[in-house]
Amino acid sequence: MRDPYSVLGVSQNASDDEVKKAYRELARKYHPDNYQNNPLADLAEEKMKEINEAYDTITKQRAGGYSGSSPGSYGYQQGYASATANPAYARIRNLINAGDLNQAEQLLYEVGQKDGEWYFLSGSIAYRKGWLDEALQNYTRAVQLEPNNVEYRQALAVMQRGSMGGYRPAGYTSSAGCDPCTAYLCCSCLTPWGGPCC
Amino acid sequence: MFGYVRPFRPELKCRDYDLYRATYCGLCRCLRRRYGLIAPLLLNFDFTFLALLLWEPEETFIPCRGRCHGNPLRKLPMCPDSPALELAADESVILAWWKLRDSVQDDGLWRGLPARALSGILKPAYKKAARRCPEFDRTVRACLEELAALERENCSSLDRTADTFARLLRAAAPCDGARGRVLSQLLYHLGRWIYLADARDDLEEDKLAGRYNPAAARYGPDGDDGALGLTMDNSLAQIGAALQLGDFGCRTPLLENIVYLGLPLVQRAVFDGSWKEIKKQKIWRNDT
Repeated sequence: MRDPYSVLGVSQNASDDEVKKAYRELARKYHPDNYQNNPLADLAEEKMKEINEAYDTITKQRAGGYSGSSPGSYGYQQGYASATANPAYARIRNLINAGDLNQAEQLLYEVGQKDGEWYFLSGSIAYRKGWLDEALQNYTRAVQLEPNNVEYRQALAVMQRGSMGGYRPAGYTSSAGCDPCTAYLCCSCLTPWGGPCC
Repeated sequence: MFGYVRPFRPELKCRDYDLYRATYCGLCRCLRRRYGLIAPLLLNFDFTFLALLLWEPEETFIPCRGRCHGNPLRKLPMCPDSPALELAADESVILAWWKLRDSVQDDGLWRGLPARALSGILKPAYKKAARRCPEFDRTVRACLEELAALERENCSSLDRTADTFARLLRAAAPCDGARGRVLSQLLYHLGRWIYLADARDDLEEDKLAGRYNPAAARYGPDGDDGALGLTMDNSLAQIGAALQLGDFGCRTPLLENIVYLGLPLVQRAVFDGSWKEIKKQKIWRNDT
């Protein structure tokens, strides 16, 4: 295993706060939300595991070998977990998760009836392929058909955020307006002047 | 290619600026050495970005000095020759050639004359480059043919037309291993973004000339800046996500500047029409 300090990009004698800060920044970078249905999600997951382990090791070492509080490590839950009624859809979801898009597309076209989930899955396949315009259209249709489905709405919301979504390193946040993480704060009254920050 | 991929100079650190310039000059020298005196004409910002991306990760960067092609009396810091630079040089010759052939076919007997002349001059260089990367040569040819066919049938799917150019650019990097996957994903969406930016840039011109334009075919004759901008933003987000998963060593800050500041800025300029002016500016000048 690599040296945990170099994984987090801090020196051996960094303070606890510095280690924590570095860990937070990396966790924000490789957060599963940034790689949802991304063909590179498995690579991000590996990175996440690596930094979780590194942070774990450092905190244990610093607690004098005593395994104290484990970090609130961000977990990675890959793929789609929600239950589906149609067995064909379940198979298609597995194929998408495995990255076999051609097979998934073929199976999907064999399903006769087009409901919300059909459009959602069709959108997911398009998204994975990088056909983002088609993905947006399909997600929109899915939400229209089933407005109460959280999964569909979330997928659509990620795409509608546009340049506001995703991770940006510190210093590159200004041009896009507001950082998505602090956006929550912006809209509330938590700014010192009690209003929106941007 | 088009010059859409460039850094945002005011936010560049001096050392990153030096690195960028040395890579640009190094690519120019590499083109000259490999393909002769006219090859530096093909030099552009997009392929400088490609060279930066393909470079094996290094902790530090040490330039050597070389004579400038434009002014042989001047000596400038340049990146030493490397596999990344050579690949970028080969690929820019191949792409330039096929784009020239494309316009020869499109522009007819008289208007296609300059392109025909240029492609005659470029032919030996192209032959050499195609021998060096036969795979890329085949992909470029196939993708551009596919694109031409879609244009002829007036394809209304934005994704389908953009996909051809995206696949073309994806082929510019080797696709094996984790690094190859990251580069493939990044270049796919960069190609998609460049194609869409170019489509928006040509919207007015194509409308006047009655030519096919993917944005017009998808959204109607006047396009739809909101929807097109959103889908371009989505591609930018994918580029950023891929960039964060790769190891680029000392080139990371420069690449981040291009991806997070340069590309969005160019996109905005293309949408509000100021791009035509900005395009002509040299980023080396100090007053911009």
